[in-house]
Amino acid sequence: MANQHLVKSFDEELRVLDARISEMGGLAEAQLAQALQALRERDTALSEAVIAADVRVDALEHDVQDQVLQMLALRQPMAVDLRQILSAIKIAGHLERVADYAKNTAKRTIVLARTPIPTRGVGGIERVGRLAQGSLKDALDAFAQRDLARARAVWARDEEIDDAYNGVFRELLTYMIEDPRTITACTHLMFIAKNIERIGDHVTNVVELVGFRVTGTTFGDDRPKSQGAMYRPQ
Amino acid sequence: MIATAMSNGAKADAKPAAEHDIKITGRDVRVFYGDKEALHGVDVDLRDREVTSLIGPSGCGKSTYLRCLNRMNDTIAGCRVTGSLMLDGKDIYDKSIDVVQLRARVGMVFQKPNPFPKSIYENVAYGPRIHGIASSKADFDAIVENSLRKAGLWNEAKDRLDQPGTGLSGGQQQRLCIARAIAVSPEVILMDEPCSALDPIATATIEELIDELRENFAIVIVTHSMQQAARVSQKTAFFHLGNLVEFGETRQIFTNPVDTRTQAYITGRIG
Repeated sequence: MANQHLVKSFDEELRVLDARISEMGGLAEAQLAQALQALRERDTALSEAVIAADVRVDALEHDVQDQVLQMLALRQPMAVDLRQILSAIKIAGHLERVADYAKNTAKRTIVLARTPIPTRGVGGIERVGRLAQGSLKDALDAFAQRDLARARAVWARDEEIDDAYNGVFRELLTYMIEDPRTITACTHLMFIAKNIERIGDHVTNVVELVGFRVTGTTFGDDRPKSQGAMYRPQ
Repeated sequence: MIATAMSNGAKADAKPAAEHDIKITGRDVRVFYGDKEALHGVDVDLRDREVTSLIGPSGCGKSTYLRCLNRMNDTIAGCRVTGSLMLDGKDIYDKSIDVVQLRARVGMVFQKPNPFPKSIYENVAYGPRIHGIASSKADFDAIVENSLRKAGLWNEAKDRLDQPGTGLSGGQQQRLCIARAIAVSPEVILMDEPCSALDPIATATIEELIDELRENFAIVIVTHSMQQAARVSQKTAFFHLGNLVEFGETRQIFTNPVDTRTQAYITGRIG
């Protein structure tokens, strides 16, 4: 099928919509990378920069919403166009949440800068962070190239992030039991780990939407999930 | 469920298509104008109490196909139809079929409203009279009222039944033509771009009417408006260059068509 619309301005609008999503994705990626760097280096200035930059992601999400509203009203899109437009507004929402979690991580990093923290706990979070970053990058590539195989691969490996998060959870719990003075710091770290784990969930939703856009169907519900690794009292 | 986010409204869900019987079965229907084959072997099942829309670019064969269903093509010199078209299991093209009776069972509404130059009452009573459906004044009165009610025109027309049908507005005239088609108790109603000469309000009225008529009739509508097809029909058939390219649930055709030609057409791409 030819990819061009008879009405060329429609093609241009769809291109702009994709460009906005890619820009949001790039910003969310940078926000996450900097939030993790700030955590690792206990860098308050960098954390503040992450917090301040979140408004740009929010503004882009509003732009996407406005554009989608306009296109639905004025173009009455069908089939693959309709799916692209519907998935765009939802992907924008997920990317906004990813950036939000990065911001929240930065906020807690500022609090942690004034508190002694068990360095080993940060190491586990870094691992969750690297996995989430990898998934986010692949998801954005899958979006840009409408790469179904890559989207599905990201979708299938959210389990790794969940497992890594559950590892951090157990580790931090051990520190808190060993030394109750670390409870404040470890609780913040626990929230940070949870934030990053949630980023993985949003990334999973993004690739599901990429799949929906390309095929018109969802991936189904046979995604591998980790089995009850949450803390259970013995 | 994202995949079914685009629905035709609650009514579309009320009666799953599988519950309705097949009204017209078409197999390998071909139409020739002289030596030229205009329609290349179309297989479609049209179900009772369901709206089927026929879409496609100009010259794709959708109107030609529609006209096969009540043998309107018989009136075109040099036009020949082959294949099989069965109405309730009986061959529409069988020699024993009375074409006039057939067209009473398979009524038609045209693009441009074409009321007879008679009163509103006579426009509706004309069909029942020539078909001998009614005899007494009371019977005719009942048919006229009932038909005009079903066509959503009764309240507007009841005080002016003796006035010419041509004096009505375009949208009212089209509803009068629908009332005229209904008056002979058809089983199938064919509509050839019934709203293309109407403004958006009159169009919406007709679309609402089509949705109501669906409770009693099988309806086949040719339309150039894809939004209209999406709004009013449960099944959609996409024609292209004399071929039936894709036929299926309207909600699927407009959200996730299978054929790339369908996709190109409904999204306005260069096909």
